Amino acid sequence: MALLEVENLGIGFPVGGRMVEVVRGLSFAIEAGEAVGLVGESGSGKSQTALAILRLLTPPGRITRGGIRFDGQDLTHADAAAMRRLRGSAISIVFQDALSGLNPAFSIGTQLIDVIAAHRGLRRHKARDLAVETLALVGIPDPGSRLSQYPHQFSGGMRQRVLIAMAIACRPRLLIADEPTTALDVTVQAQIMRLLADLRRQLGLTLLFITHNLDLMADVCDRAVVLYGGMKMEAAAIGTLFANPLQPYTQALLGCIPRLTDPPGTLAPIEGAAPVPGLLGPGCPFAPRCPRRVDVCDREPPLAVRHGTHDVACWQVASDAVA
Amino acid sequence: MSTLLGRPAGLVGAVLVTAVAVIAITAPWIAPYNPLLVDLADKLAMPSAAHWMGTDQAGRDILSRVLWGARPSLSVGLLAVAIGLIGGITIGLTAAYTRGLWEQVAMRAMDALASIPLLIWAIAIVGIVGVGPLPIGPWRLPNESKIVLLVGILYIPSLARVTYGGALVEFRADYVRARRMQGAGRLAVMLSDVLPNCLSPVIVQATLLIAVGIVVEASLSFVGLGVEPPNPSWGNMLADARNFIFTGEWWTFVFPGLAISLSVIGFNLLGDALRDTLDPRKAARTGQLVA
Amino acid sequence: MPLLELDRIVKTFELERRVLPRLFGRRRQLHAVNGVSLSVDRGSVLGLVGESGCGKSTLAQIILRLEPATSGTVRFDGADISALDGRALHPFRRRIQMVFQDSTASLNPRKSVRRVLAESLGLAGVPRGARTGDSVALLEQVGLGADFLSRFPHELSGGQRQRVAVARALAMRPELLVADEPVSSLDVSLQAQILRLLMELRDSLGLTMIFISHDLALVHHLCSEVAVMNAGVVVEHGKTADVLGKPCHEYTRRLLDSVPRGRVQGADASSST
Repeated sequence: MALLEVENLGIGFPVGGRMVEVVRGLSFAIEAGEAVGLVGESGSGKSQTALAILRLLTPPGRITRGGIRFDGQDLTHADAAAMRRLRGSAISIVFQDALSGLNPAFSIGTQLIDVIAAHRGLRRHKARDLAVETLALVGIPDPGSRLSQYPHQFSGGMRQRVLIAMAIACRPRLLIADEPTTALDVTVQAQIMRLLADLRRQLGLTLLFITHNLDLMADVCDRAVVLYGGMKMEAAAIGTLFANPLQPYTQALLGCIPRLTDPPGTLAPIEGAAPVPGLLGPGCPFAPRCPRRVDVCDREPPLAVRHGTHDVACWQVASDAVA
Repeated sequence: MSTLLGRPAGLVGAVLVTAVAVIAITAPWIAPYNPLLVDLADKLAMPSAAHWMGTDQAGRDILSRVLWGARPSLSVGLLAVAIGLIGGITIGLTAAYTRGLWEQVAMRAMDALASIPLLIWAIAIVGIVGVGPLPIGPWRLPNESKIVLLVGILYIPSLARVTYGGALVEFRADYVRARRMQGAGRLAVMLSDVLPNCLSPVIVQATLLIAVGIVVEASLSFVGLGVEPPNPSWGNMLADARNFIFTGEWWTFVFPGLAISLSVIGFNLLGDALRDTLDPRKAARTGQLVA
Repeated sequence: MPLLELDRIVKTFELERRVLPRLFGRRRQLHAVNGVSLSVDRGSVLGLVGESGCGKSTLAQIILRLEPATSGTVRFDGADISALDGRALHPFRRRIQMVFQDSTASLNPRKSVRRVLAESLGLAGVPRGARTGDSVALLEQVGLGADFLSRFPHELSGGQRQRVAVARALAMRPELLVADEPVSSLDVSLQAQILRLLMELRDSLGLTMIFISHDLALVHHLCSEVAVMNAGVVVEHGKTADVLGKPCHEYTRRLLDSVPRGRVQGADASSST
């Protein structure tokens, strides 16, 4: 059984009296120990999905349909107390903004020890030992003395490491990382990505990595789920996705990535603008920009096709497969 | 505007403020009696069909006096805020723009003025220059204008601070830099780019200050430093009613008190609702879903 | 003659703000830019690469004369503009234009696209009657249509706002366009769109550009030359292919190592995972 199963998930926000779905029937699963990337541009619903898993959607946004199961437990109907127990201990999240994730008024140690003591029921000196150990694990030099320092005394990259330390301090079974490197410099970004990969190996973490950068997740993920307009367009192993993308959107997205190995100037942007939730028709959200669009794409949601572990949602890919 | 009235608080505030304004303008026509008309035979009469709000210790119709009393309250509130806006915006904008000696001098002066509560300033200054018209050279400044001028000047610090804070941020914004790089004049940038974008909090503050002005006028009149009796004002009506609080003639103080409370609440609700609707970032956010 | 020449530009900031310690000789200074000399030829695109705090944005501010340099000279088209002030600077202002990183902050939220462009065209000396027509032409040049004239910034996407910002800069018919991280806050597909737009402008208008970025892959696609900055100093400068192909400085190598694998090898990105 998969550790996390998201099935036919819908997330909606009421806009002018009707429910507008930003996530429309999303299904994916993460096996224990796996690292899965959820890729999408702004408006694709990726961050809302992460919040829905933690049941932290900002009201009036809510889950409109479908289910989320974690280790067999139905999270969509779990009560508030059960969710509190899960959050931080079994499932934890690292957000992109490392500054607002930490309270500037308390030392790193206080914040870290509080989290550990609260979730693991440890005495404070035991919790302190674990805090030092965790800070060392995320590569913060001289962790014992840095415990008494405050967030502003850390650089952006170090703050993100502290946040990751907080997230993994209770040895969660699932770590969700929501664009954890967006605000960071490139060399620091590379370090954080290496750190996540190392932690996965050392702790056997299960990782859900959320980003708009397909190329970034290649460094840490086994599989990727590509979202567009709240729908799953394609899901496959990273290597397959890069080598043999089938969905036209995935293909177009890969064409947008500037590569050092391509000749200069060869860059194929996707024409047109990203979809606006609420203004989407019943068909494939990518249809208006799709080079392979046919009539049925506007009328019907894209047809799901499965090649082994490679999922694609597209009418054209489906007809290619039949032909 | 539709979003402003769409909020319950905004709607109630707008209704109360409009009511006070209409009453102040139409008082001469809607007041049933002359507010100064003394009828000692009918003094301290209970509210009745003839006198809806009863009469005071001189037999004057309280309803008429409450209606007429809206005039000094509102005129002090509005005119003082107008003076405060002109002075505050000018000082705030220029201080944020020059960033030098003028900034230091102007803003420290504002701090000094703001360090003593407004009401205390008002009472102290009126106490020093005295009640009644103030002779300035060949002119005599009427008592009410004197209060307006005084309260208006005392409003300048808070409005200057709000303008200054907003303008500091806007002067550093990229779109202001872009305008400067294209060679736009300083005054043009100040008036067409900076001012409109830092005006919302200033308007909100100004609306709240109208309410403060009503209270200041009432307070000054209450201690005999404001509108001179027998002219009606909510403040000096309350002062007249002081003696009847424990003797049972409740109508003498309840109605002017209610008038003050409702108009202050009105302007405060309107100010709060304006704060919510005028924020352009908020207005932009309601239009789109962030996923 | 190069269009822009920077000669030993230094910019220091006083960290000690209190007057007394400064009087007693306690000066804590930050050398944001520490002796940078560069030249940009007409028609070339210089990539200015580095991480936050390396001084690249400060250098841009100095080139645009938004900040004065502490020492050193900026020569534009042969004329020393670092000493000019007020009116004397005026004729040079419009010849150098900028596109900012944050597309939201770079447009006045209360001005429509029509007004933004008309104001710029007015400053560029275009008569009132021709401004609407010119605005439409500018919008088309950046890939937008006449229907965008009546829109306000919050009605535009990040990519569209950035296009309007480019159109505003083009309204001045600049000779040098400085773009400070113009795509770093955009999604990948929008990044590609804006980058493509800059390439088209480079080719069609022969526009000279300084493209400031932390992303070597973007620089590889757009720029003919690259200067790598670290701690206020240019550590490596040369033709893009040379610098990225055979980096000499250790810092350039570190930047290259930080490029995500998906951007280097493409298809077989995950083979080693």
